[in-house]
Amino acid sequence: MSEENQKQGDDGQHDDGHHVNYAKIYVTLLILFAISVMGPFVGEMTGIKLITLITAFGIAFVKANLVIQNFMHLRWEKKLMKWMLMSSLVVVALFVAGVAPDVYNHEGDNWDNLAAKAAVERGIAGGEHDVEEDHAEEEPAAEVATAGFNAASSYAMICASCHGAAGAGDGAAGALLDPPPANFTDPTFWSTRDDARIKTAIRDGGASVGVSPLMAPWGALYDDEQLDAMVEYVKSFNPGGE
Amino acid sequence: MKPIATTRSATGVPTGRLAVWWLLASEVVIFGGLLGSYLMMRLGHPEWADAAMHTNTWIGATNTFVLLTSSFTAVLAHQAAEKGDGKKAAGLLVLTIGGALTFLAIKSFEWYTEISHGYTITANNFWSFYYTAAGLHALHVIAGAIIMGFIAWDAFRGKELQRVELIGIYWHFVDVVWIFLFPLLYIAK
Repeated sequence: MSEENQKQGDDGQHDDGHHVNYAKIYVTLLILFAISVMGPFVGEMTGIKLITLITAFGIAFVKANLVIQNFMHLRWEKKLMKWMLMSSLVVVALFVAGVAPDVYNHEGDNWDNLAAKAAVERGIAGGEHDVEEDHAEEEPAAEVATAGFNAASSYAMICASCHGAAGAGDGAAGALLDPPPANFTDPTFWSTRDDARIKTAIRDGGASVGVSPLMAPWGALYDDEQLDAMVEYVKSFNPGGE
Repeated sequence: MKPIATTRSATGVPTGRLAVWWLLASEVVIFGGLLGSYLMMRLGHPEWADAAMHTNTWIGATNTFVLLTSSFTAVLAHQAAEKGDGKKAAGLLVLTIGGALTFLAIKSFEWYTEISHGYTITANNFWSFYYTAAGLHALHVIAGAIIMGFIAWDAFRGKELQRVELIGIYWHFVDVVWIFLFPLLYIAK
């Protein structure tokens, strides 16, 4: 700031004699802004959180100062204005300094802020049950279940003991059942069945579709998608099917 | 007859400008107290980081850019007014109002998204501060845009050109508040 400019300011003359290159200030502000946005990425990459804090808050002060001095022309204002603003900042500082121990600290030499401590505990535990995070946790879990599921091996494990490994209704455990287990290789069996009925039978058991109650309900084992996959697999035994 | 604030200058500073600085000195206490409280609470409550994760940095950054740009057009309006070019000053003020409206439109979209995801002012203390601080700031943006409209109307007719500077000073202050809100609410996570 030149002497001449100072004089103009003191005289209350407010022409464009400040010789401020506003465009240059604006470009500087934009560059600082870009740095403050990039800060967290650099901070994350290097693992130094201080970088984020400096680029965020350090730059905020620099930007604010550029705006206040050059756009608001505070550097050319009378001292009165600076003192006025400074008084306000002092009031804020006094407020923060006076209140900080009660708000920021949760314990002192002779006291504990139990409520605040409990809020931190609750908040950290509660954060795990956040709306969005719940989704994030469910999805991988569902993927694992789906990935581990295979209709053929599930059939071999669960169904084959009665319905037979090849679906002919000749499984060892089914030999003594009356009525006998369904024979999926019999075209006449399929003439009276559709997907929905097979699915219901697997999920809710034979009784739910009016056949042998000895066919147990397996709904607890499979989700809807897996039930569909089981239906498709069972249908693959149909010699008349595609 | 012109209003006394326009003609009198008992302190050596035009009274209108003194009044704007006086207003801003009181605003410093209002926003300073609010942001100071937020900072203390934030430092004392590490769990707020979970909530802060959900603010959208890119929306905040876009709005920072919009306000910085509107500050630039506001100071250019002041420059034009000093040269006595009321029409140009009015045009630049209208551009600044455009910046204010863009800011508010983006903010509405941002809040709409957040509220529809359940992040309301009553969700927890972080969101209370978030909506209070940004909301109080948004009220200042609205007030500034309305006042700028009146001043641009006069300036276009070459009247009361000194007011272009006054609204400019106020507008830069609104920008400065956002310069601090941006890192506080969006960057420090």
